[in-house]
Amino acid sequence: MSKSMPLVEGNAYVLGFRQQVEWSALIASAFFFGKVGAGLFMISVVTQSRLGMLLGLLIVVGGKGGAHLLYLGQPWRFWRGMSRPGSSWVSRGLWAMTFMVVMGGWALLLPAGSSLFMPVAVIAALFAFVVAIYDGFLLTSSNAIPIWNTALMPVMCMFYAFLGGTTMTLFLAHFGFIQLAIGERLLSAVEMALLSVNLLIVIMYLATSVTAGAAGKTSFNLLVRGPYAVPFFALAIGVGLVFTLLMTFFAGSDASPGVVALITVADLIGHYYIFYLLLKIGVFKPIFGQLKI
Amino acid sequence: MHYGMVVDLKRCVGCQACTIACKSENGTPPGVMYTKVLDQVSGEYPNVRKQFVPVLCNHCVNAPCQRVCPTGATYKRDDGLVLVDHDKCMGCRACYVACPYNNRIFLKRGRLKQGYHGKVMTPYEAVKYKEHQDGIVEKCKFCSHRVDEGLKPACVQTCPADARIFGDLDDPNSTVSRLIRSRGGVQALSDDNTEPSVYYLS
Repeated sequence: MSKSMPLVEGNAYVLGFRQQVEWSALIASAFFFGKVGAGLFMISVVTQSRLGMLLGLLIVVGGKGGAHLLYLGQPWRFWRGMSRPGSSWVSRGLWAMTFMVVMGGWALLLPAGSSLFMPVAVIAALFAFVVAIYDGFLLTSSNAIPIWNTALMPVMCMFYAFLGGTTMTLFLAHFGFIQLAIGERLLSAVEMALLSVNLLIVIMYLATSVTAGAAGKTSFNLLVRGPYAVPFFALAIGVGLVFTLLMTFFAGSDASPGVVALITVADLIGHYYIFYLLLKIGVFKPIFGQLKI
Repeated sequence: MHYGMVVDLKRCVGCQACTIACKSENGTPPGVMYTKVLDQVSGEYPNVRKQFVPVLCNHCVNAPCQRVCPTGATYKRDDGLVLVDHDKCMGCRACYVACPYNNRIFLKRGRLKQGYHGKVMTPYEAVKYKEHQDGIVEKCKFCSHRVDEGLKPACVQTCPADARIFGDLDDPNSTVSRLIRSRGGVQALSDDNTEPSVYYLS
């Protein structure tokens, strides 16, 4: 029965697969800023860069928080979103963001050399980790959209956050904004490893989506053969992962600032597009997939 | 008490009277439908059939929309009705992506400024739109305001083919319970363990 079901657009009075239309560019922006900001914060705690930590916090508050506020239908009620951490991943994410900002801000206010700095910064980094991965759990918890309902989603969020954080850290270090406590060569190697792992996870994700029933296959087809195939292969995979990996491999840690800037922009473009496209291809299961009329 | 609905697909003629009755009762703005009748064309020429499937909020026992709601705006009454507190909803649409039945509607900001005839509202629209808020998510309420007064939901009251039957699922002698037992009522997407309160008879 599901084979004959059409992909229904808009409010048509037809039974079939329906694409979700509400979570789109702004939610993708919030996810993007959340992961890049939280990733930068976590890596900056490891590299002990206060400027990196501050930028990470600002990206999370301004970018992620701003995108969420722009998206909300009633932005002044955002505080109500903290009411249900027991069952809602949106609530949990909001709490994690709040704790990350409070603890991160506290760590940054401590004087240099304070013995409290590292313990407070590590606690803030733990909350940053939750900020980085909670949207993966948020998407996974939606049984309604099979392409999102996979355990790989939080894993993908985690690795993309680490990748975004590493890229931003390398960018800041190359342009002399921060001094790294660990070698730049080591961080470049980490970047390459993360790019390879992310490429592998995206391939695994696509492979599992084919087995996620008829709606999963419909989403898969939208991504690899349908209207989203060009941005997916060109931007999310080509620019974001393959081009970045090759550039990092050949340029290495001695790359010129221009090349590093290019790698950073390419990585961020790929990062944004992968999650934007994954939101766009969300397709609901047909409600009568198993009911013979 | 657990209110539920039985939809007899053999009786539905696809007239959309329920859709209009719902819009009229709830005064929803253009493009917002708490219920509607979908159709499906099956078979191959010359043996083609058109079938009609009314859809609405399933008022699930294990409602995913309630679970994911971060504000507590979506809540469940003791009689099984899943409702939205308009004053608590912040419009995050987590419920929209969590509802497997795709029966939640987001009222975009400014949507209540225009009626069916543009910016000039009919007196009816002017009164009814006050019951809504833009920037929030709405859905079928099983006409809770009517049910509380002992009336049937507007779609059930209006259906000319008696395709929609409303009643107490907890009462084994109610019409809905007897129909589900005798004709094998099926819940949509029953594998998702949402336990919908809407049953379909085929």
